[in-house]
Amino acid sequence: MTKTGIINCHVRALAIFGFAWFMLLPCKAAADEDFATLQANAQKSFRDGVAPFVKTYCAECHGDKKRKGGISFLAALKNPGDSSSSKRWKQALVSVRTHDMPPDDTAKQPTAEERQKFLGWLAQLKFLSPQDPGPFVIRRLTKVEYGNTLHDLYGVDPAVAQELPDEVFGEGYLNTLSPLQSEQYLAIANVVLDKILARDGATPTAVQKRLFGKTPSSGADARAAAKVVARSLARDAYRRPPTEAELDVLLGVFDLARENKLAYPAALRLMFKAILVSPQFLFITPAQEPEPGREIVPLDDHQLASRLSYLLWATTPDAELSALADRGQLHDPAVLKAQTKRLLLDRRSRALFDGFGAQWLGLGGLAGKTFDTAKFPQMTSGMRAAMYDEARLFFDSIVRDNRSVVSFVDSDYTFLNGTLAALYGLDKTVKGPEMRKVKLADANRGGILGMPGILATTSFPNRTSAVKRGVWVLEQVLGEHVPPAPANVPALEKQDQKKVANLTLRQRTELHRTNPVCANCHKILDPIGFGLENFDAVGRWRDQDDSGGAIDAAGELPGGKHFTTPKELKVIIAGRKDELARNLTEKLLAYALCRQLEGYDEIVVDRLMETIAKDGYRIQTLVTEIVTSYPFLQRHIQKQAVALSHEK
Amino acid sequence: MRNKMLIDRRTSLKGIGATLALPLFESLGWAAPGKEKSFKPPVRLGFMYMPHGVIMDQFWPKNPESFLTAPPPALEALRPVLNHCLLMKGISGVPIAPFNGAPHALELSTWLTARLPDANRRNQIHIAISADQIAANYVGFQTSLPSLELATMPQTHKENQEGLNEGYYSHCSFRSATQAVPAEINPRSVLNRLFGKADAAGDGRKPGTISPAQALDRKMLDLVLTGARDLRRKLPQDDQHKLDEYLDSVRSVERRIAAIEHRQQEAALEKAGVSVSKRNSSDSPPIEVKIPEGDKRSEYMQVMCDLNVLAFQTDTTRVSTYIGSTPNGVSYPELGFKDEHHSQTHHNNKAEQVDKVAAITKFNIDQFAYMVKKMASLREGDGTLLDNCIMMWGSGLEDGNKHTRENLPFILAGRGGGALNSGRYLPDTKGNQGDLLTTLLTCAGIPLDRPIGIATKQIKEMVAKV
Repeated sequence: MTKTGIINCHVRALAIFGFAWFMLLPCKAAADEDFATLQANAQKSFRDGVAPFVKTYCAECHGDKKRKGGISFLAALKNPGDSSSSKRWKQALVSVRTHDMPPDDTAKQPTAEERQKFLGWLAQLKFLSPQDPGPFVIRRLTKVEYGNTLHDLYGVDPAVAQELPDEVFGEGYLNTLSPLQSEQYLAIANVVLDKILARDGATPTAVQKRLFGKTPSSGADARAAAKVVARSLARDAYRRPPTEAELDVLLGVFDLARENKLAYPAALRLMFKAILVSPQFLFITPAQEPEPGREIVPLDDHQLASRLSYLLWATTPDAELSALADRGQLHDPAVLKAQTKRLLLDRRSRALFDGFGAQWLGLGGLAGKTFDTAKFPQMTSGMRAAMYDEARLFFDSIVRDNRSVVSFVDSDYTFLNGTLAALYGLDKTVKGPEMRKVKLADANRGGILGMPGILATTSFPNRTSAVKRGVWVLEQVLGEHVPPAPANVPALEKQDQKKVANLTLRQRTELHRTNPVCANCHKILDPIGFGLENFDAVGRWRDQDDSGGAIDAAGELPGGKHFTTPKELKVIIAGRKDELARNLTEKLLAYALCRQLEGYDEIVVDRLMETIAKDGYRIQTLVTEIVTSYPFLQRHIQKQAVALSHEK
Repeated sequence: MRNKMLIDRRTSLKGIGATLALPLFESLGWAAPGKEKSFKPPVRLGFMYMPHGVIMDQFWPKNPESFLTAPPPALEALRPVLNHCLLMKGISGVPIAPFNGAPHALELSTWLTARLPDANRRNQIHIAISADQIAANYVGFQTSLPSLELATMPQTHKENQEGLNEGYYSHCSFRSATQAVPAEINPRSVLNRLFGKADAAGDGRKPGTISPAQALDRKMLDLVLTGARDLRRKLPQDDQHKLDEYLDSVRSVERRIAAIEHRQQEAALEKAGVSVSKRNSSDSPPIEVKIPEGDKRSEYMQVMCDLNVLAFQTDTTRVSTYIGSTPNGVSYPELGFKDEHHSQTHHNNKAEQVDKVAAITKFNIDQFAYMVKKMASLREGDGTLLDNCIMMWGSGLEDGNKHTRENLPFILAGRGGGALNSGRYLPDTKGNQGDLLTTLLTCAGIPLDRPIGIATKQIKEMVAKV
């Protein structure tokens, strides 16, 4: 199974109070009242603050006449609470905060105080977004999920799915099926059936007996027997009870087989194959039709069971989850939380790292990343696998022991084998291929900032990159938004090689900050990366860089916090608990919802953060809060096309 | 025009007793049987992409006169087939404002659409149907696969310049404005699924025979589709759109099986002395495709090219798109350096980097040359397979160093069954990418109800005078 895996989903729109409709009503009333006040304040901020600022400083280039960079505030000014506007405001926030905008060469510049006020106002605009859980469109199982599901239901090796194409992951997991792919589904169904069912006339296998039951004696009603089998096969495969209409389709396939003179077991086999290529198996589909006229509907318990199970296990709900869904008890918050903890402690929750953790940390591409093998001969596939496993086991230990998210940054242990220990200089004490927990004495290590896999993925093939590492820390660890580099930026290699021959990488990187356009952002990004310069491009400690010059790992973070070593940088970052926890919450919520967070989601996250902070930022709480949050339990549906055409 | 053709074939097929569950069979053959001598093979349309532009003075011929005798270094490998090639300088790309910060996200996705994504929905896929898919819509029903999409590497690049959906980075085929078509990257699975596993083993069994079990599968899929349509009716609208992809895809499986059934019937008829075959007896036998063991990029690209040739040769599809390389993180260790393609294209005219870009460009064109030369070596009808193809190689940028797109580099190989006036270099063509695609599709016999993307006209100079 690929490690680059899959992000089944990721990314998209909106949300709300962390309260689901069935939760405590009195609380909701109070919350509504608070919310009305906040909303009124936000309207005032918008009217008296944001709108005049934008008109004064932004609209000339980003208004109705000009749309520099394709950006106009026209729509956002008209509907400041729209989810599409929230993206615009976020962009404005980043640009104004980093002094990227307005450009230095324009005459009208806001004062520092105006800037600060503007940022404060913007932060309130989220309250203008309407309460909305966002969509949860039916989605196809990813390759990994599909393989795991076949394994869990029928005991086949998940590798049976390996020929399916990998999903495009990240922000737009393109859930498109190529023609070839559904041929592959058919072919895989054949392989699965060949593996688990006996050939014609042979003694049935154990799995076959379990799935098909007994062959009815001649004279008995074979079709009635087939219907019983269809119901149970479809219940498992569709992850919900099949409808009568769905059973009719399956019996139609059974009849087709009988018409073609197939024996009873062979006819069941064809029916089974139909199940395995049905959309109800390949997609997560709702069990119930939505109530007509409603646009925001709760997930039914079966949909919820699947959503939870595929999130934490990347596989189909097990018997316990399914039974709770059948009994209609799963949406009870206490039950749901207990189930979430149970799933997290099960070994299958490793899927959460393969699907989410690896992507969050940027390790998904490590196995395939190019390294200069002349310079770094140790970057073998074994080393890459060990790097990945180190992060995986570390992530897993935090989840299992229910530690605070701060321990992602600040811990005094890691997981090593002999291969990886060489990068730590611990190969005298840690030997052999087995990964094991190792206590670390060096405080520069321990936590994701000093982890070789991550240091390697944020490097170029042949050297470190302070910029990449800085961006990584800001975006992946602290959850800040870094504006993209403008077009046509030359890489450092473009510098006059003679002039820079004797400069350290840091000095070379600093050269480009003499350009004021670059400096705005890089004065924030680069120092963080410099703080990690003691780690080379594969994560080994060093005191000199390639030029032979001494490493200068001193820098400061926005807000004036100075550091001189990776250890000190780590302490500063670990101190920013709120940001760390919020970032992880946002990223995991987006992953859980299969969409980007927008507009109202910010309010949901605010609510989640209160509970999570009270519990000391423990990771299991973070996950249970997400799973019981409003947008996880509800979905926004579009009216059917038919209804729309009637309106016209 | 289309309808008329369908009716004719339907009538003839009813005569041979084919099951007509699908419109597909309706014109499988590429000529009405009867005239023994000259079946006119169909025109096939292929696209192959390389990102980041070229080193211009090594790509464009010095002048029209020396084009055939002293081609520029980048085109060296095409020398034997240059008289089947057409080069035109002066085709401009789509201006990318307001997405000026996204030259690479757009070079590939505008390549066959000739238009920009919708700026207001930039985080979603919202662009336009691409030229290859327009062609597939028109001719696709006549073959097992409407179109074939291949790529050398996973389309998984994660970067969203200018807030554009990441899918724009690595896709050039779009089935509709909102639906990117994923490409197949595993040559083995393409070979197995399209042509049957037998070919992979090289035992020479004729590709594409089906068993009674497969025929039964087709009928089973038909029932599954009925069930899927029931399900669709009960779903909210956005769910319905998702399910449509499934319906599309399964329908095409059904159709592939049905098409093979039809071919078997044809073969049986031929055996019985009734001539219905699409193939001439003098046509070359299907090429053999071997999957390479190692991970050499050239071998990998060549097997993809082979698959493309085989798919065209066996009329498995008439439209193909091969993303030879995507605009991100590709390096070419085979050429003796490890730098990523993109980083070298910002060369600021430094000799060392210019040389590397030139080498990468030549490498890519070499693979294209491998494909078209193979096509030229295969007999088909009165000429070669290449004669009946239009193969377009190109890039969505002219100069990767400055991201210009005034003179997009293109090579057109093949004559499109005589529609293209080849063997020439036109140094001063006026037109844009949309014009080019519009003209190409017209040459391939695809009637268009509107111009493609930014097109305003057809490029008459390309077209052979009838």
